[in-house]
Amino acid sequence: MTPSTLALLSLFVPLGAAVLLGLLGPLRRTGRPAAFVSVAGALVALAGAVAILAGGDAALKPGAHLVWGWLSAGPATAVGIHVDGTSAWMLLVVTLVATCVQIYSLGYLHDEPPAALGRYFTYQSLFLFAMNTLVLAPNLLQAFLGWELVGLVSYLLIGFYFRKPSAAKAAVKAFWVTKFADLGFLIGLVTLYAKTGAFEWTAVTPVAGFVTLMLFFAVMGKSAQFPLHIWLPDAMEGPTPVSALLHAATMVAAGVFLIVRAEPLFAQAPMTREIMAYVGGFTALFAACIAVVQTDIKKVLAYSTCSQLGYMVTALGAGDTFAGYFHLSTHAFFKALLFLGAGSLIHAVHSNELKDMGGLFKKMPFSGAVFIIGAVALAGVPPFAGFFSKDLILEAVEHHHLYVPLAALAIAAFLTAFYMTRTVMMALFGAPSHAAEHAHEPGIDMKLPLGVLALLAIVAGFGGSWLAGLTGHEYAFHFTLVGGAGTAIGLLGIATGFWMFGPAQGGAPIKRGMAPVGVFIRYGLMDRLSTVAYGLMLAVGAIIAWIDRYVIDGVMNWSGWILLVGGRRLRGLQTGNVQDYVYAVALGIVVLGAWGILR
Amino acid sequence: MTLDAYVLIAGFMFCIGLYGVLTRRNAIGILVSVELMVNAANINLAAFAHFGRGIDGQVLVLFTTALTVAEVVVGLALVLLLFRRRKDILVDLANGLKG
Amino acid sequence: MIERLLFGAVSTVLVFTALMAVTTRNLVHAVLWLGMTLATTAMLYILLQAPFLATLQLILYTGGVLSLMLFGVMLTRRSSEQDGVMVGNESNGRRRALPIVAIMLGLLVTAVGRTPLANAPVSPSPTTAEIGKRILSTHLLAFELLSVLLLAAMVGAIVLARRKDASLEGTNDPRERAAALPGSRPAGAPKEV
Repeated sequence: MTPSTLALLSLFVPLGAAVLLGLLGPLRRTGRPAAFVSVAGALVALAGAVAILAGGDAALKPGAHLVWGWLSAGPATAVGIHVDGTSAWMLLVVTLVATCVQIYSLGYLHDEPPAALGRYFTYQSLFLFAMNTLVLAPNLLQAFLGWELVGLVSYLLIGFYFRKPSAAKAAVKAFWVTKFADLGFLIGLVTLYAKTGAFEWTAVTPVAGFVTLMLFFAVMGKSAQFPLHIWLPDAMEGPTPVSALLHAATMVAAGVFLIVRAEPLFAQAPMTREIMAYVGGFTALFAACIAVVQTDIKKVLAYSTCSQLGYMVTALGAGDTFAGYFHLSTHAFFKALLFLGAGSLIHAVHSNELKDMGGLFKKMPFSGAVFIIGAVALAGVPPFAGFFSKDLILEAVEHHHLYVPLAALAIAAFLTAFYMTRTVMMALFGAPSHAAEHAHEPGIDMKLPLGVLALLAIVAGFGGSWLAGLTGHEYAFHFTLVGGAGTAIGLLGIATGFWMFGPAQGGAPIKRGMAPVGVFIRYGLMDRLSTVAYGLMLAVGAIIAWIDRYVIDGVMNWSGWILLVGGRRLRGLQTGNVQDYVYAVALGIVVLGAWGILR
Repeated sequence: MTLDAYVLIAGFMFCIGLYGVLTRRNAIGILVSVELMVNAANINLAAFAHFGRGIDGQVLVLFTTALTVAEVVVGLALVLLLFRRRKDILVDLANGLKG
Repeated sequence: MIERLLFGAVSTVLVFTALMAVTTRNLVHAVLWLGMTLATTAMLYILLQAPFLATLQLILYTGGVLSLMLFGVMLTRRSSEQDGVMVGNESNGRRRALPIVAIMLGLLVTAVGRTPLANAPVSPSPTTAEIGKRILSTHLLAFELLSVLLLAAMVGAIVLARRKDASLEGTNDPRERAAALPGSRPAGAPKEV
């Protein structure tokens, strides 16, 4: 089969599953059989994606472009698929992570009532279709369709526990914030169409600066860049596998993918790229600071996702598309792994709070091990996946002389390593909490996806040059000063984490090994220093968290308040009397008539 | 007579009808005024058909007439409903949409 | 000359009766004045050499719509009103309605004055047969759609105006409904002893 046939298969089989489950209520309400339909759809989609890449990159080099006319508005409004190296690889990432998450959900949501389970898997299938629509989009118009569809599914899945008020609120918040940002996408699309008469990825236009700025605004919403990141932490109200798939690995990365796809457009807009670099750098640092003080394991990971997306955006802002795309892929694997690993811990202790965990490594060695693999991959320890891509980003940013974002990324790298060490120490080591005493390993259906993702988190970094060849870039790993410094900073962050959380939490083996240092730490100046340093770190984190809650949310609330009061004032216009409305119509006719006749 | 005389007469009727719609408090009074406005439009159609446009204008009058009948039927049903709810048919009693 | 006189007379009556229809204090009178207006319009159609329209006007409007409206008036009389045919039809908001209507009239007159309508040629007047053929050929689809619309309006009016019996309100169960009606029992209910 040709790549385009396989891509169509990957696109429509999940849709078929979603439609089948959506329309056949009795099947959907059976729960597990419905889940198997959805998983089967995802497996077919995954097989399609694998087959495309297995066919070799000779077929992918020119890119298969297949479009059909859609609206009667002319040839510009076409839907179809575009299969080249970039979209084929993204298709594989999406379908692979989605398949892992769906299989994992079989175990994770085992106790849900059958009807809810069926609903969950219907949404999952729909998500796969929506995401593939976006990934395979031959033009910006179809990308917009997919973009909105994934937004809808995100809303539905965040609000999966819709009887819980906080989940319903979080869903609505996510929907509104991203829809507000999508306004930018729409404005960009309309401008592009007005100027070029088409929705092409590769359009050449003098208004590229404005169009890309508007697109980037939409990306800020979808990919949770400051200040539109506010929905992502709340989105953790959804089930953990959903957070892994939508709010870590694929959907939030759609913004990054959009910029990668629209590279020719963004290449015409150096100004937008500079803004992107600064926004991304700031988000990376800012979110990492907040992650340091979170006590909820999913919130730590959510802010971490924000921060890592900031990395990608900075890389794209520096003009190095491949660095951003590479980090997107590796991040998809290790962050999905971290979320699923966290889900497995949460599943065992029935709580998101770090203080309810502790000492879980002994009870759950497998889950603990894969979580640690994810953590070191995120921290950028060689030779795990995150090391290569983060290295490449730092190098790209330095290469383009963006020193302020570079500094932000470097500090963020330190904080990332630090908070991941903190999380690992608090959750897996130390004194076991009451809830942790009865913890046990999950079943095979949850272990299998964890194993696959852990393997990828270890080896994905080595595929860099292959991926570069596939997408028409050049990359070969080589040692650079800035990359080495980044890794060193990461290791320093891990060491700091050990120093603060290893011994202090009664991590006995670590303490024994570092006895002389430990004495110094306990009784020397270092103790004070560490208290001050941690206090400072906490304070900065708390201040930024406060600013996030009150100033940034406050601005949003204020604008809402102004609309509310304005609305209350204006409601007097609506008298409810038919004749007043007729009067308004007559007035309008008179004004328009006067304008038309007396002009 | 020339076309402009008919158009003027129709304009007069339309404005009278509009005045009625704006001032009547009684729902049936408003329906009466709406009839005047539609009738003005019909006169225009017939006049333009006579002066140069041929058959289609007259056909259109037939269509608008049928539409008006439908409108009156539904309108009167609404009036009856209003009467049953409010024991009167003054339109300012039906202000449920008040903001 | 005769045509000019006739037109003057007809249009004077038309404007006068229309004015009466929107200003008279008695609702029944207003409806009757409307009838006069509509009948006068039929005469205008005759002046325009459109006998088909004139007939239509008399049958549909003056016959159908008018009697419908009179029924409407009768069905919505307040029980407190005992004074015969006097049905209240007060006006309000004259002060704000008059200027806007005057401006609109002024605009219309200006527009008509600026458009060269006076020298439009008179076209031969079509026969009813020609109109009928046109309706059932060129405008067939619109004609059929119109019949659907009329059906929908009829159904809608029945639904809106249907009187719900108070004793039946609040139940959708046919058996309860049947039980609530006097002199009938639900099928299968045990016989009273």
